[in-house]
Amino acid sequence: MTGSGKGARRRLRATVPLGAYAALVCVFLLSPLVIAVALSFSSGEQLAFPPPGFSLRWYREALATEQFLTGVWVSTVIALATGAVSALGGTGAAIAINHFRFRGRALVQSFVLLPLSIPGVVVGLGILFALGMLGMKSGIAAAIAGHSVLGVPYVTYLVLATLSNYDLTLEQASLNLGAGRWLTFRRITLPLIAPGILAGAICAFLISFDNVALSIFLTRGDTLPLRLMQHIQFYANPGVAAVSSLLVAASLVVMLVLGRILRRRQIVGLAG
Amino acid sequence: MAAGARFARAVRRAGPWLWLLPAMTVLVPFFLLPVAVLLRNSVYRDDPGALIVPDFVATNYLRIITDPYYADVFVNTLMVAFGVSFAALMIGYPFAYYLVRWAGRSRPFLLWAVYTPLIVSVIVRVFGWMVITADSGLINTALLSMGVIERPVRLLYEVAGMVIGLTHRYLPLMVLPLVNSMAKIDRALLAASVGLGAGAARTQLYVVLPLSIPGAVAGFQLVFAGVLSDFVLPNLMGTTRFRMLAPTIYDEAVANLSWATSAAMAIVMLLLVVAMLVCTNLALRRFAPWARTL
Repeated sequence: MTGSGKGARRRLRATVPLGAYAALVCVFLLSPLVIAVALSFSSGEQLAFPPPGFSLRWYREALATEQFLTGVWVSTVIALATGAVSALGGTGAAIAINHFRFRGRALVQSFVLLPLSIPGVVVGLGILFALGMLGMKSGIAAAIAGHSVLGVPYVTYLVLATLSNYDLTLEQASLNLGAGRWLTFRRITLPLIAPGILAGAICAFLISFDNVALSIFLTRGDTLPLRLMQHIQFYANPGVAAVSSLLVAASLVVMLVLGRILRRRQIVGLAG
Repeated sequence: MAAGARFARAVRRAGPWLWLLPAMTVLVPFFLLPVAVLLRNSVYRDDPGALIVPDFVATNYLRIITDPYYADVFVNTLMVAFGVSFAALMIGYPFAYYLVRWAGRSRPFLLWAVYTPLIVSVIVRVFGWMVITADSGLINTALLSMGVIERPVRLLYEVAGMVIGLTHRYLPLMVLPLVNSMAKIDRALLAASVGLGAGAARTQLYVVLPLSIPGAVAGFQLVFAGVLSDFVLPNLMGTTRFRMLAPTIYDEAVANLSWATSAAMAIVMLLLVVAMLVCTNLALRRFAPWARTL
């Protein structure tokens, strides 16, 4: 009795400081987000904190700022296309790597996943140099292609993870029962790996939407992150904070959706 | 019949390459070709009249290594990369340990606090830090009103502010691999260690610490590579008196149109990342050979 009491006390002695420390780290992690949101309701002109008063003027201002609106539009188009291209390319690559044994398979796998470990600035500068050879100019198409270089490996990685607890005999059974290859793919393979594809496409969307390292080389400075950067450098007023809070809200929604999809993946894994 | 079988075999053999077609349509022209062109441009010569002229010279590399203007950029960037990686490890390790071993019911919240900044746009995070570290920002207002300081401490647009921002941006990438490696430690091992007479401290030192090394190395690799090539933080929170690599490459390529110089700098950046990965993996194999069996 006394022994367990002493143990509990020792446990408490160890955990209370550590717990306080962990809380401090959480404050460090979350404070810039909280502050950015808080400042968006400021009535002042400056980045001063605490703000002088409460108002919604910066939301009105942000929603009337042409550069932000076109930025959201351009970034959304690029990110949606990147998500789609990455889902297509990544799913195909994952199936090729997982379902087939062919010469050069290991090399192909490392090549497809390689962009994940190469700095974005290096890839961006390289694509900028190569655009002329490819008969392209900087702009939305170049940005979609560039962002997809980062998106394809992400989707490949996530679909490969989904496929790792996936039973190939299910496909064999479907083929043996007379379903064709296409029907088998559509009715067996695709539904089982769909959560991986969707999670990968959402990741590719987020990477693209937030990308700076490639966009500075490949666009005309008109994506939302670049517009926000310019705005911060030239005006430094709470208008950015209003856009920021809207982005934080959107991110939380995406996170909720992503969490739900990833949890479903586990359920699929158990069922398969 | 034989022709049909041959056709079927050809289709089967082409199978993986057909599946790979969409990925390769993206990666060959927009990844393989650009890296090749980058290598080529790095041995070409910058020319004021014609942008860049074919050549095969090492002068670009020699200049960026010997000219103090460029050499400083590399030294600055490497120092910051080492410093931030070390800071992230020191801050992240106890946090990850608490999260895995003691957190209990608060664990989902702690994990959420690590993931959320990762998902929110980096510009938003930087903006938040600008408001906190500015001369009229949160820290300075608080310190001034408490009478600790008489005039604002300059953090924003200095190395200090940039390092704070970088540490915040990359801390989650240190914590997540650490959490991963610590969560994998078999509790029976800890019980065995204590059962065999080792105290809590010795168990920590000889069991938990070695088994978490792979996570620390993975975290170090992610943070180091990230800081080395970061563009946003030096650009928005740093100072031009302390130049960093990614913004300098951008300025050389886009503002100065020195394509050969910027290509050489980008290749050196790439080599630094590769060298770091090779060294840390070798060190891991040498000093923590159990990493691969985990």
